Amino acid sequence: MIPPEVLAALKAAVGPQWVKDARAELDTYATDGLPTHRSLPGAAVIPGRKDELLQVIRILHHHRIPAVARGAGTGLSGGALASGDAVLVVLTRLNRILKIDAENRRAVVEPGVVNTRLSAAAEPFGLHYAPDPSSQPACTIGGNVAENAGGPHCLKYGVTTNHILALDVVLPDGELLSLGSPSGEPWGPDLVGLFVGSEGTFGIATEITVKLTPTPTAIRTLLADFTLLRSAGQAVTSIIAAGFVPAALEILDHNTIAAVEASIYRAGYPTDAGAVLLVELDGMDELAVEAEASQVEDLLESAGARSIQLASDPAKREKLWHGRKKAFGAMGRLGSDLVVQDAVVPRSKLPDVLDQIGEIGERYSISLCNVFHAGDGNLHPNIAFDQTDPDLAERVRRASTDIVRLCIEAGGTITGEHGVGTDKMHYMPLVYDADTLGAMNRIRHVFDPLELANPGKVLPVHSCRG
Amino acid sequence: MVADKIRSLLGEHGLLGIDPLGIPVAAPASDDECALLLRTASSESWTVRIEGSGTWIPRDARADLALSTMRLRGIVDLSPPDMVVTVGSGTSWTELQTSLANDRMWIPLDPPGSGRSVGSVVACATAGPLRTGFGAIRDHLLGLTLVTGDGRVVRAGGRVVKNVAGYDITKLAAGSFGAFGIITSVNLRLRAVPRADATLIARGTRDHLLDAARGILSSGYTPGALELFSPAAVAGTEWTLAVRLLGSHEAVAAERSAVGAAARMQFSSLEPSDAADFWRDTLARTTAAPSTLRLGALPSSLDEALDSIAHHLDESCDDWIAANVHAGVVRWSGDAGVNRIRLLRNVAAHSEMPLTIERGPWSVRSELGHFGAFRDGAVRLVYALRNSFDPSRTLAIPLGRES
Amino acid sequence: MNTPPISGLDPCVHCGFCLQACPTYLATGDESDSPRGRIVLMRSLARGSLSTTEPTLAFHLDRCLGCLACEPVCPSDVRYGTALEATRALIAQSRPVPLVARMVNAVMADRRLRRPLLGLARLVRPVAGVLAGQSRLGFAFGMLRATENGQRWGKQGQKTEKASLPAPSASSAPSALLFTGCIMEGLFSHVHEATHRTLSANGYRSTRVPHQGCCGALHAHTGEHDKAVDLARRNVAAFADCPESVIAVNSAGCGAMLKEYGRLLAGDPLEPEAVALSQRVRDVSQLLASRETRRGHTLALKVAYDPPCHLLHAQRIADAPRALLASIPGIEMVQHRDAAMCCGSAGSYSLTQVGLSRTVLEDKVNALIAADPDVVATGNPGCIMQIGAGLAAVGSSIPVVHPIEILDWSYAMAGFYDE
Ligand SMILES: Cc1cc2nc3c(=O)[nH]c(=O)nc-3n(C[C@H](O)[C@H](O)[C@H](O)COP(=O)(O)OP(=O)(O)OC[C@H]3O[C@@H](n4cnc5c(N)ncnc54)[C@H](O)[C@@H]3O)c2cc1C
Ligand code: SF4
Ligand code: SF4
Repeated sequence: MIPPEVLAALKAAVGPQWVKDARAELDTYATDGLPTHRSLPGAAVIPGRKDELLQVIRILHHHRIPAVARGAGTGLSGGALASGDAVLVVLTRLNRILKIDAENRRAVVEPGVVNTRLSAAAEPFGLHYAPDPSSQPACTIGGNVAENAGGPHCLKYGVTTNHILALDVVLPDGELLSLGSPSGEPWGPDLVGLFVGSEGTFGIATEITVKLTPTPTAIRTLLADFTLLRSAGQAVTSIIAAGFVPAALEILDHNTIAAVEASIYRAGYPTDAGAVLLVELDGMDELAVEAEASQVEDLLESAGARSIQLASDPAKREKLWHGRKKAFGAMGRLGSDLVVQDAVVPRSKLPDVLDQIGEIGERYSISLCNVFHAGDGNLHPNIAFDQTDPDLAERVRRASTDIVRLCIEAGGTITGEHGVGTDKMHYMPLVYDADTLGAMNRIRHVFDPLELANPGKVLPVHSCRG
Repeated sequence: MVADKIRSLLGEHGLLGIDPLGIPVAAPASDDECALLLRTASSESWTVRIEGSGTWIPRDARADLALSTMRLRGIVDLSPPDMVVTVGSGTSWTELQTSLANDRMWIPLDPPGSGRSVGSVVACATAGPLRTGFGAIRDHLLGLTLVTGDGRVVRAGGRVVKNVAGYDITKLAAGSFGAFGIITSVNLRLRAVPRADATLIARGTRDHLLDAARGILSSGYTPGALELFSPAAVAGTEWTLAVRLLGSHEAVAAERSAVGAAARMQFSSLEPSDAADFWRDTLARTTAAPSTLRLGALPSSLDEALDSIAHHLDESCDDWIAANVHAGVVRWSGDAGVNRIRLLRNVAAHSEMPLTIERGPWSVRSELGHFGAFRDGAVRLVYALRNSFDPSRTLAIPLGRES
Repeated sequence: MNTPPISGLDPCVHCGFCLQACPTYLATGDESDSPRGRIVLMRSLARGSLSTTEPTLAFHLDRCLGCLACEPVCPSDVRYGTALEATRALIAQSRPVPLVARMVNAVMADRRLRRPLLGLARLVRPVAGVLAGQSRLGFAFGMLRATENGQRWGKQGQKTEKASLPAPSASSAPSALLFTGCIMEGLFSHVHEATHRTLSANGYRSTRVPHQGCCGALHAHTGEHDKAVDLARRNVAAFADCPESVIAVNSAGCGAMLKEYGRLLAGDPLEPEAVALSQRVRDVSQLLASRETRRGHTLALKVAYDPPCHLLHAQRIADAPRALLASIPGIEMVQHRDAAMCCGSAGSYSLTQVGLSRTVLEDKVNALIAADPDVVATGNPGCIMQIGAGLAAVGSSIPVVHPIEILDWSYAMAGFYDE
């Protein structure tokens, strides 16, 4: 419950219609992109300007009420969930692109700007914003910063943190700080690097300076299908080892292909394949990219590809990609609930890990869809199920834990791009020892001594000492 | 007395000796030994100086104990199929690259200086010209081990190329000059050595070359390196624009003609061995003078940054200067007193350009701090962070103009 | 009163792909004004964890335009529109449908009311242009003005308007039954005539069946489920006499509704006929574009095509109207930003949700003005009126017409009707 005087103060700050406290409205803010987790916030506030946002944070700090930032709510770790004693601060109205500086390949945006809208605004200058999470038509740059989002093309171009130059942030106590400089050179230790990926627990990014990247003019997309998932994994390893830096290397397994082909995003993937591998090569020169594509084609063939399609025209490429980008939504057709994993393993371990994940699925008789950024070793084994079946739900839970342990044992980690949030918090002690978690906890307290910024996320309470 | 304690903690081999300033030099051989030393130092209220090979920052800081990374040497774990290496921070940067080359891999990073240790490159975040095509230090690091000022072993990040579990302590530690702790090992992302590697050179006036470089960028091409050097940097008489193209043969060939057209000037192409010498010698000349500064500008404000440097530090136009036209970063090496640097730092800060003292004598470092022009709020955060890693101020690293 | 169950929402995985397609979410940034948020509300209703009386629940569902832009972008094939109608019917049980909407619905459903009222409107129409403006009343006049015959480039068209039409060329020519509707018949008779002429000129035998009426879309969308069923039954019966012919529809909203009759009359004795009717429905642009469209006289016009939501999203017809326009010699198609976005008309929405409707319209008007066309084409009466009034309100004189009218001008100038 948020005290009435606080609600009144918030309404005075942003206008009454932008403070939501009715049950029905809060219902729509109870989940992010991972609906298996739910929490009804005490209230939701939607400030329209930066100064309103600052006022909101100051009011909440004054009353010692926790604030949880929310962008588009597409996060897949339950990061933007607030409990009943906390206020959700929704940043969707702070969606202005403040500056496109083509000469310096930079842009300055408010946090609520949607990822693809930024790229669209940069397009006339031959530039784009490179990090491209599959959710890019919906998610916000602020959310990307908070989660350090990745995407298919991050193999070549890097993830969000490689593209953030400077940040204005409002700390939980309402202080507004500028981190980093327009050039990207820090004024001191790399606080921008530290803030990116902090999942809203250090404060809220209010203004973001990003790098823009020249849009490649020559692109080839290859789609190879394999009888075995394992062979697709091996193809990835051989492409990288041969010195290619493809813009993207993505794998969809059999179950995912089936889901995609049954949805409106049909991409013409062969439904009887064990896996398809999407390879994208890009550059500024047609002939050079063409040459690379034919060399990669040879590698795919020797890795055992059954058939290889090569697309160079935008429409066909878009079609091949569409299925990949919408795969997650398409899985919604397979079951009413979806567990989304985001583990990472060293690339060379891919084939073994994939086999073992398959075994785990069989062991618990659950249906697993694997769709992943194979070039980075970033796996997304997803499990579609029905939460109302308690026995099944339990098997899914156990399978998930087994998968996570498997990936950690293979030298990997628990999340490559979706963040820890509430969903993966209990796995943190599996990857970090107490001293490391303790250091993280102390860093958090430097930014947020009163634990008012997105409390209860990222770091499990008991395992942190110091 | 300090020396005795070191011997009792690490044994005879743990003490390398006493340096010319009379400071005992300890060389831990593991994270645990390092932690033990720092815990002791912190409880005994010693101050500790960190040193690598001593070729970048001189071993001149006053302290009760010098802690050398000498024995934290060598490749700990190399996985060619995963293209990841874990390497001790005392390892020589050049030796690391040489041994990676055996597997046709490299780290596309060319820090200025010579004979440097991996720890020094990472802690000082000194990226060279290849930053244009491949990013700064932070973009190559997957994780590191940091022994904090109060002697805890923090293992940040990991050995996989994507990892968002928890806070990015790796980025905090890289480029903080050791103020939070001693980096004992780092995990670096590797790349396959490109099949083609070409270096193009043009000479002329500063303004002309700068325009040409901007022309290349606005054509949409981003070369591996696009660096403007002062005459002194290349031991010549004219400013030099050096372009390095890396990639497949086809891509490099295409870029070569595109670069010439976009720059609207003639480049001469260096033979491979000449190119290697050119880059190595030019970068090694950085340390010929006592101090090196880094100024963060924008590509469009490089003229202003270069003018400021000329005006405040390089009136005779004979200093080592390199401008990274893509990143907008200018590096200067020369000899200048505290006051002139301070003045430049203030002027630059007004134009939103941070000035970092990358190296220099203790008199300069201690007086000005490596950074020292933080924004107001950030100062508090930085010191609070340091306090949480090094509560008793064991590490003698002058971060800023506090104290 | 019957209400259908709320269904079709289960596949929603909360991915958010629909957010940026939704005009109301773009206008407010509020999850409760988004498709995903409304799905949460509808699911809660269906589950019984929220009731229709919950404050703000109906508020946010009322604010939905029903434009269905959220459907084609959904990777999980969520049936938003179906669920929305069922929900509105449920809400209508506990709370009366808004008075304005009820009045509009009543007038449209009943020919005896519609005729005199729309006749009156036609009388006022000649002066509506002068009175058009920003205010509520001025906007209404703007809408009325937009229903005028947009014959600015169609002088010859005027000449032949009353001319006798060629008889069906051959008995083998496919026959098309024109769906006349309510407002189309009352205020857009010139579009009906143009439809008739252009279809005939392309070899269709175009005729009308008696006893047809309003399609019931306005009723279904506002929650008057039973009334919608009544109207559907009437039309099904009216068209059942000529089961072979396709039904030509020139109003996107009606077309979308007619295609839903099978579902609307599920369980009804007339269900088989309703299903059959749904399958016979064609947008007039499809009929013309499905064959080689006859090329008329050159018209040097810059045309901005604004797809009606009920054509683009509900019926998923994207290319036919464009192809039809592009077949006219001399036409230059200009693109405006966010063309696929709703204009805010949405049946009686522009009357019940004035504020939000205008906010949504503002973007549309700005985009169109920036593209600077000679004429805007859109195939739905509500959109013609809404966009027309929006342009008039900011003093723009760009006319808004049905695509078929432009084709008609070109044919008239070519002398096809003089044959
Ligand atoms: C179908 C689908 C596909 C996806 N694909 C990918 C993918 O390929 N790669 C990937 O990385 N992710 C992916 N995601 C996950 C998600 O889209 C990203 O994590 C995205 O960055 C979240 O952005 P958002 O605006 O929705 O943030 P939200 O979900 O609203 O918030 C996420 C977190 O960020 C915090 N936050 C939001 N804004 C700010 C701010 N301004 N300052 C501080 N903290 C803030 C919140 O408190 C929360 O902890 C996918 C999600 C879906 C549904
Ligand atoms: S796009 Fe479809 S699945 Fe995704 S949130 Fe919207 S309705 Fe649900
Ligand atoms: S029908 Fe239109 S207004 Fe309603 S939720 Fe869908 S997109 Fe939004």
